[in-house]
Amino acid sequence: MEELVRTDNIASQVEVFDWKDAIRKAGQILIDTGDIKEAYIEDMIESVNTLGPYMVIAKGFALAHAAPCEAVLHNAVSLINLKNGVDFGSRNDPVNVVMCLACTDRQSHMEKIQKIAMRLMEEGTIERLAECKTDKELYEVFNKIKENE
Amino acid sequence: MKVPKIQCVCGFGCGSSLMLRMAIDDILKKHDLEADTFCGDVGTCLSNPCDVIFISRELAERIVDRADVPVRIIENFMDSSEVEEKVLEYMNSLN
Repeated sequence: MEELVRTDNIASQVEVFDWKDAIRKAGQILIDTGDIKEAYIEDMIESVNTLGPYMVIAKGFALAHAAPCEAVLHNAVSLINLKNGVDFGSRNDPVNVVMCLACTDRQSHMEKIQKIAMRLMEEGTIERLAECKTDKELYEVFNKIKENE
Repeated sequence: MKVPKIQCVCGFGCGSSLMLRMAIDDILKKHDLEADTFCGDVGTCLSNPCDVIFISRELAERIVDRADVPVRIIENFMDSSEVEEKVLEYMNSLN
């Protein structure tokens, strides 16, 4: 088992009042871990404002990200699920699971993203992530610790 | 036959487009099909040489009128069956 998202980078049952708040809460985790600066959160929100809700790449799932920039200190991902889903204005609404992705460049994070993509493509993963009640459960489901139980 | 170049596009060419590229690579491998896949961003994707563009619906609206190559819309990047259907449909259209 490889840890795709660290314990510190996960939060479950997060309360948010709209999509911007959801991005802020997912991003705040990476500020707290010292991986991004505040400006990156504003970049992610601005991206949705200018390009539309394309980051909602699957039913109920938003991959919040912006272009690599100076506000990203290290490659990092955070993962939250929401107590109540929010609308991004996408046909894949409501969103219950938000992943925040921060990259220092366009290349170095490829391998990790590949693994994350494979996990998300496994049928039922996003639904299971949406249902997790505790941080521990969210961590275990995403990193697939209880694979063979 | 020439190996087709598939461009996967998102806002910046490094986040969701990479996820889509992984999904497409997975399908190509599963069906033993050969194609070059790469990522692009919506601002510059039309100047990157390719044979087809795979993109989300929201972003497709920004390029579809100006594109010289087919533009295929993917609603759910993580839905293997949708990606599979659309990739196979494209690959079959080449024969």
